[in-house]
Amino acid sequence: MTSTLEGHISKTVDQALTELRTHAVEMGGLVIDQVGSAVRALLERDGVLAERVLAREPAINDYESRIDRESLTFIALHQPVASDLRVARAISRAALELERVGDESKKIARFALKIGAIASHDPVVAVARSLRHMATLSAAQLRSAVRALDEADPVQAREVLARDKELDDEFASALRQLMSFVMEDQQFLRATVDTVFALKGLERIGDHAKNIAEQVVYLVEGERPGKGK
Amino acid sequence: MDTLLNPPAETQHRKVVPMQGDTGAQKADSPSLSIVLEDRKTARANPAKANAEKLSFWYGTNQALKNINLVIPENQVTALIGPSGCGKSTFLRCFNRMHDLQPDTRYEGAIHLRPDNVNLVGRDIDPIEVRMRIGMVFQKPNPFPKTVFENVAYGLRLRGVRNRSELAERVERALRGAAIWDEVKDRLNDSALALSGGQMQRLCIARALATEPEILLFDEPTSALDPIATAKIEELITELRQRVTVLIVTHNMQQAARVSDFTAFMYLGELVEVDATSKIFTNPSKKATEDYITGRYG
Repeated sequence: MTSTLEGHISKTVDQALTELRTHAVEMGGLVIDQVGSAVRALLERDGVLAERVLAREPAINDYESRIDRESLTFIALHQPVASDLRVARAISRAALELERVGDESKKIARFALKIGAIASHDPVVAVARSLRHMATLSAAQLRSAVRALDEADPVQAREVLARDKELDDEFASALRQLMSFVMEDQQFLRATVDTVFALKGLERIGDHAKNIAEQVVYLVEGERPGKGK
Repeated sequence: MDTLLNPPAETQHRKVVPMQGDTGAQKADSPSLSIVLEDRKTARANPAKANAEKLSFWYGTNQALKNINLVIPENQVTALIGPSGCGKSTFLRCFNRMHDLQPDTRYEGAIHLRPDNVNLVGRDIDPIEVRMRIGMVFQKPNPFPKTVFENVAYGLRLRGVRNRSELAERVERALRGAAIWDEVKDRLNDSALALSGGQMQRLCIARALATEPEILLFDEPTSALDPIATAKIEELITELRQRVTVLIVTHNMQQAARVSDFTAFMYLGELVEVDATSKIFTNPSKKATEDYITGRYG
């Protein structure tokens, strides 16, 4: 995003925008790691890893409030217009989306702590392949969205928008599997519901990546991407 | 209003440790994950360069300044804002005794300049001595009708610098400091009046810088300039703080927001509020300040 951020007569403006961008990218790195760790903790019933995810959650919230405060101060002190204004807004909104991804990861980590040892008839095991696939997909989507933000690249952002359906499809397929699972044995109803929430969380993470990508398109082109684009 | 003397103890320097991407759980609990967030609402004030203490000022019987207490932190930019007639220019002009040029004016209180604690408005202090230490840049660029070089060299000559190579060296340093050297280095013997408005103003800044003042006063320095020339002067002011303490009066609030570290809001000759600029422009403490900066001022 360098060319979008630099070249102002005021170096203070260049610096403030670069800092905002850097913090958003750092936050993105942390959040993406949280998604992978939370799902791995669930699949492998790794309580230590789940605890680590929970312990890192406050750092994500700190990033979000920091970016929010920095963008507000930037707007108040520098009265940005046009692309500068869009950058400040896009980064602030992206931080909000990333913070929500952090919340989804936290919920999955909590579930990992709660569910106990792997049972012979286990809903998580039943959809393990989908969980793993959705975690990989959503993390990849997030990574592309954050990179698109970093590089102010609308092409990459549009790819994120186009790929979101894969996650939706995988979610629908996993739901079908769980339906048949719960019909066979209702003993694990509670764990099944929690598994649905975990899957839904991953599907939502894809939506957050999509929202970030929409902000990138708006940042560069000044207009929101139309539906289906 | 001595908050600038005593910055909040909890203000911390920023320490952010970048995250290393999605490398898995192995690094998840490394201590580097803790981030300490800086509270930017309260920028730290440097030690005081000057200290206005119970400063009052009269034009005849008209009291223009009422008991002002304000700390000017060293090597930072302090902006004075407020509606016309609030006393901000009057306050600024006390610092280099400009009022002494008018009859029937009176100071009370003090402005102590560090480190020697001399009272700038003291009766026993020669205004000429004061102006040797406090430079000023005015609203309209006012270069002397001389060459570019002579404009900057003038103050140095007054102070007894005769050596030609030293003069040339110090003129160049001042012109570089005012970010105008590249534009005038081939025109040093041209008349300063041939420069553009923005260039003339930067030349005036260079002229003020040449004598290495301790405080530089700016009185609406960009109100006669176009936006690009304004942006250049503003950028210059933010850079100047590394070498000099800056006090600027502006009726352009956005300019105060852009260039200053601390902002003081004045109204009817009184100091209403002073705080870190980011605090003033995001969450001022006084309603009068909020009303003024949001344009609700009635």
